[in-house]
Amino acid sequence: MQQQMILVVTLLGMLCVAIPFILIARSTASSVSPTPLFDDSSRRTLLWVLMILGVAVTVATLWVWPHRVVAGASTQAVNVTGHQWSWEFEPNTVKAGSPVIFNVHAGDVNHGMGVYDANKRLLFQVQAMPGYVNRVEYTFDKPGTYQILCMEFCGMGHHLMTADLTVTAADPNQGAPQ
Amino acid sequence: MTTQTLDRDISSERRGAGLAPIALLLAGAVFLLMMVVGLLMRAAQGNLVTIDPVLFYQLMTAHGAGMVGAAGLSGAAIMWYFLGRHVALNAKVFAIFLGLFLLGVVLILGAIFVGGFGAAWTFLYPLPAHSGGAWGNNAAIAFLCGLISIGVGFLLFYLEAARAILAKYGSLSNAMAWPLVFSGKMDHVPPPTIIASTAVIIFNSLGIVVGAAVLVISLINLMVPAFAIDPLLAKNMIYFFGHVFINAAIYMAVIGVYEIIPQYTGRPWKSSRAFAIAWSAILLFVLAVYPHHLLQDTVMPGWALVVGQVVSYLSALPVLAVTAFGLLSYVRGSGMRWDLASALLFIGVFGWSIGVVPAVIDGMISANKLMHNTQWVPGHFHTYLLLGEVAMSFGVMAWLVRSREQATFNGLDRTAFWGYVGGSVGFILVLLTAGAMSVPRRWAVHAPEWIAQDRVSAVFAVVILLGATYFVTRYAIRLLTVHDGR
Repeated sequence: MQQQMILVVTLLGMLCVAIPFILIARSTASSVSPTPLFDDSSRRTLLWVLMILGVAVTVATLWVWPHRVVAGASTQAVNVTGHQWSWEFEPNTVKAGSPVIFNVHAGDVNHGMGVYDANKRLLFQVQAMPGYVNRVEYTFDKPGTYQILCMEFCGMGHHLMTADLTVTAADPNQGAPQ
Repeated sequence: MTTQTLDRDISSERRGAGLAPIALLLAGAVFLLMMVVGLLMRAAQGNLVTIDPVLFYQLMTAHGAGMVGAAGLSGAAIMWYFLGRHVALNAKVFAIFLGLFLLGVVLILGAIFVGGFGAAWTFLYPLPAHSGGAWGNNAAIAFLCGLISIGVGFLLFYLEAARAILAKYGSLSNAMAWPLVFSGKMDHVPPPTIIASTAVIIFNSLGIVVGAAVLVISLINLMVPAFAIDPLLAKNMIYFFGHVFINAAIYMAVIGVYEIIPQYTGRPWKSSRAFAIAWSAILLFVLAVYPHHLLQDTVMPGWALVVGQVVSYLSALPVLAVTAFGLLSYVRGSGMRWDLASALLFIGVFGWSIGVVPAVIDGMISANKLMHNTQWVPGHFHTYLLLGEVAMSFGVMAWLVRSREQATFNGLDRTAFWGYVGGSVGFILVLLTAGAMSVPRRWAVHAPEWIAQDRVSAVFAVVILLGATYFVTRYAIRLLTVHDGR
C-alpha cells in the first residue's frame, strides 16, 4: 500500500527532525559547550547530506515521468466531464489489464477526478478544468466497480459528486494483466 | 540587565509600537473564533453535531479566510513591532493597515453569513460566479472586495516598511546583505530582522499584486460574465498569491524568534553569511515553488511541475539548515530559562521544521497523485500553522506581557502549553493518517468508515482550543490591565 508507506516514511522523517529539538530542549540547563556539534562545518555537512538525498529522490521519482501517457494498440480511451455535481463518462465501462487514458475536463468550474477502489483507497487522481483536457493513464488490475469522488471543492454539492466506473475482466486475447 | 529593567523597557517599547500589540490581540481572538469553527466542522464530519452542508461550506470558507488572515495579521504585527527597533516607522500607516483589515473582515463575514458565500477562501475561478443557487453575485463581490481591502492594507504596510528600511540602508540590496552574500564582506551588516523583513516585503508585495489582479478580474467577471480569463492562468495566479501570502505570515512571525530568543540565551542572533544566503534563497524559493499546487493539472508544462517538486524540496533547506540549526545552536548549553514565551517560540520553530517533511512528500508528483486534496494537505499545513506560526504568535504575546512572576514555567502556563502542543500533535497525526486513508478534504459529509478519526480529531481540537483560550485570555488581561498599570 503506497499510502501507508508514504505515511511511515513521513513519520520517520518528522521524528528524525524532532529528535535534535527534544535532546537540546532537555539539555539547556547543562553547561554544554556549543561546539563542535553546531559549527559551520557541521552545517555544511548537513547541507551536503540533504542535497545528495534531494538529488537521489528527485532522480528516482522523476526518472519515469509520473504523468506519462502512451497510446498503444490496446489502449482504451474514456472522455470524462465534470459538472456541478455529477460526472459523465463516455464510455463508463473499461476492461482490466489494458491501459486506459482518461481525457478529463469540466463543463463549469474546477473539479478533481479521484478514482477509488472497493476499499475506499485512492488509486489516482487528476484535475478537471473548464477549457482544458487533462490526460491521465491507468491500468486497472482487477475487475469490479470503482468509485469516482470529486477531489476539488466545487460548491455546495461537492460531497455528492460521485459516480461509478465499471471495470470488466481482461480480454483473454490481450494476455495477462500488465 | 535585571528583569525589572527589562520589563520597563518592554513596556516602553510596546507603547512605541502603537497598535501592533492590539493587532496581535485581534489576531488571537480570530484564531480562537476560527478554532471553534474548525472544531464544529470536525464534529459535523464525525456526526457529533448536525450542520447543513451549505452552512458547513460557509464555515469552511470563514475558517480558511479567517485563519489565513489572522496568521497574516499576527505575522505583520510581529514584524512591525520588531522592525520598529531598527528603523523609524510611521504609526499612522499601521493604523490604516488595521482599518483596511477590519473593513475586509466585515465584508468577508457579511458575504459569508449574510450573503451565503461559500466558495472557500481560495475563490478558485470561476467558482464565485457558479454558486448553484447558494449565494448571489453581491455576496461574491463583497467577499472579493474584502480580500482586496486586506491586500491593499498589506501593500501599504510593506511600502512603509520598505520606505523606512531604504531610508536607513540605502537599497534593498544592502538590506538583504547581498554584498555579504556575493563578496563575503560588508561594513555594516543589517540585523536578521532587517534581512527577513526585506525578503518578505519583496516576495509578499509581488504575491499581493498578482492576487489583486486576479481578484479584480474575478470581480469584473461577476459583473460582466462575458469578460472571462483563462481558468488555468487564474489558477496559477490564485495559488501563487495564496502560497506566497501564507508563507509570508510564517516568515514574518519568525522575526519574533530572532529578536526574543537571544534575550533568553544571552547569545545574539547573528546575520552571518549563511543566514544572508539562506534569506536570499528563501526569496527565490517562495516565489518559484507555487506550481506544487498544480501537480495534478497535467496540461501544465512539465518543466513547471518539475520546478514545483524540486523547489519544494529546496525550500526545506533554509528552514532546517539555518533557522532550525541556528536556534538549536544558540539554545544548546545556553542555560536558557523556560517560560511560556520561550517554550512557545521554541515549539514554533520545531513545528515549522517537522512540517517540512509532509510538505516535501506532498510536493513530489508521484506522491501527490495519491495525497493531493486528501486530508494529508490540511495535515501538513496545520503542522506549519498550529505548531509553527500560531505557536510563534502566542509566544510573542506571552513575551510582551511577561513579568517576573512568569519567569517560572509552572502551573497553568505549563499545563496549557503541553495541552496545546499535545492536542496539536494528535490533531495533525489524525489528519495525516486520514490522508493516508484517502479521506478527501473539504467534504461536508463523511463516509461511515471515516467517522472514527473525525471524532478523535474533534477531541484533540477541544484540547487545542482550551490551551489557545488560556494563551489569548492571559495576554488580553495582562495587556489591557495589569502590565500597563506598572
